[in-house]
Amino acid sequence: MNYIENVFICLAIPLFISIIFTRSTVRLVLTFMLSGMVVCLLSSYISTFLSGSLEIDSFTASLTLVPIVEELMKMVPLVLFILLFEPDVEMLPCSVLMIAVGFATFENACYLAQNGAESFQHLLIRGFGTGAMHVVCGALVAIGLMLLWDKLWLRMAGALGLLVVATTFHGVYNILVSQKSSTAIIGYVIPMVTSVIVLIAERKLEKNSNLRQD
Amino acid sequence: MIETIENGLQLALTVVCITVAISKAYFSRSRTWAILAFFSGIWFLGDLYWVLFLVFFGDTPDPSYITDLSWFAAYLFLLLLMNSVETEKKKMSKVLLLVPLFTIGMGVYYMQWGQYLTNIIDILLMSMLIAHSIHGLMKLTERKNRKNRMLYGTVLYFCIMEYGAWTASCIFEGDTLANPYIWFDIGLSLAFVLLIVAVGKAVDNELY
Repeated sequence: MNYIENVFICLAIPLFISIIFTRSTVRLVLTFMLSGMVVCLLSSYISTFLSGSLEIDSFTASLTLVPIVEELMKMVPLVLFILLFEPDVEMLPCSVLMIAVGFATFENACYLAQNGAESFQHLLIRGFGTGAMHVVCGALVAIGLMLLWDKLWLRMAGALGLLVVATTFHGVYNILVSQKSSTAIIGYVIPMVTSVIVLIAERKLEKNSNLRQD
Repeated sequence: MIETIENGLQLALTVVCITVAISKAYFSRSRTWAILAFFSGIWFLGDLYWVLFLVFFGDTPDPSYITDLSWFAAYLFLLLLMNSVETEKKKMSKVLLLVPLFTIGMGVYYMQWGQYLTNIIDILLMSMLIAHSIHGLMKLTERKNRKNRMLYGTVLYFCIMEYGAWTASCIFEGDTLANPYIWFDIGLSLAFVLLIVAVGKAVDNELY
């Protein structure tokens, strides 16, 4: 039995208290981290419910269903933020990334609670792999939103398409890490390599953020 | 074996398409190239997910929501691609009302094997893709500027190959070259190369 609610309380309460005592950008960053943890918890409930309804075992669900639920849920705080506060485009990459960081942190904490913390080597690889995977998925959406931002139809369709890009990337990652030895290591390494590529691309795009209007 | 080689070919051609599209998008600052990169990227990921599932588990993914979603998103990006090169909006011809007749008919046929919801989404997206590409081709005959013709033609070719592959997979079985599915899927893979040329022409057309 894995008491993820208890893990959630331990991680979320300090964050919640710090949100009360902070202001402006720091508060926003912490709020997004907390919302990432909340959606991770909700994703777990939804995935369990759906796999039960569709009568598929948890392993198959982790490969076919969980990536969709998790990536969809990660978009919820962002969509609410955009609809309620109409923020500047510049604020979106940071918000997407902090949601992803909160999500990955809570997921790793649950993994530790379930599997123990004995194997330093495995946890190191997993920590980098899972963390990088969620950040890469978030960054894909963020970069795409920045590129495809000015027209409504591009914003809607582009966001939907990028969500699917992130979902499929997540699905491929889950398949690879579900295997043994070298295949799993390749799975863990791919998000790390991709995150370096995304980081370089983001830096380059920062210099010239707007593509030519076609 | 043949299907695995053919899947490998498709993955390789999509990688070529992604690489060219990303480099062109970066150097030309063109959104059209960026959309082509997204289209080929999502297609590649969907294909990769499918192939990995086949390799590691010896079967296709069930439920196949992720691959279905990735192909739907690819169609969406293809629609965006055609929209991004369009310079002026023009009323669609009534002849194009025949397109949904075809797509709905085929969709109902495929429903014998596939899920209702995925087939309905396929009908919607394919109707838009086919109608938009034919509309683009019809419109170009009336204008001096015809460099977008190849893009519309390639999208139409892509749709024909898709329908060919779907229909062949319903009728024929077997992992041999005698199965028309393999040939339609190879034809589909070639569409990625044609799209690079077609988008190149369309973007040049915008610049000059």
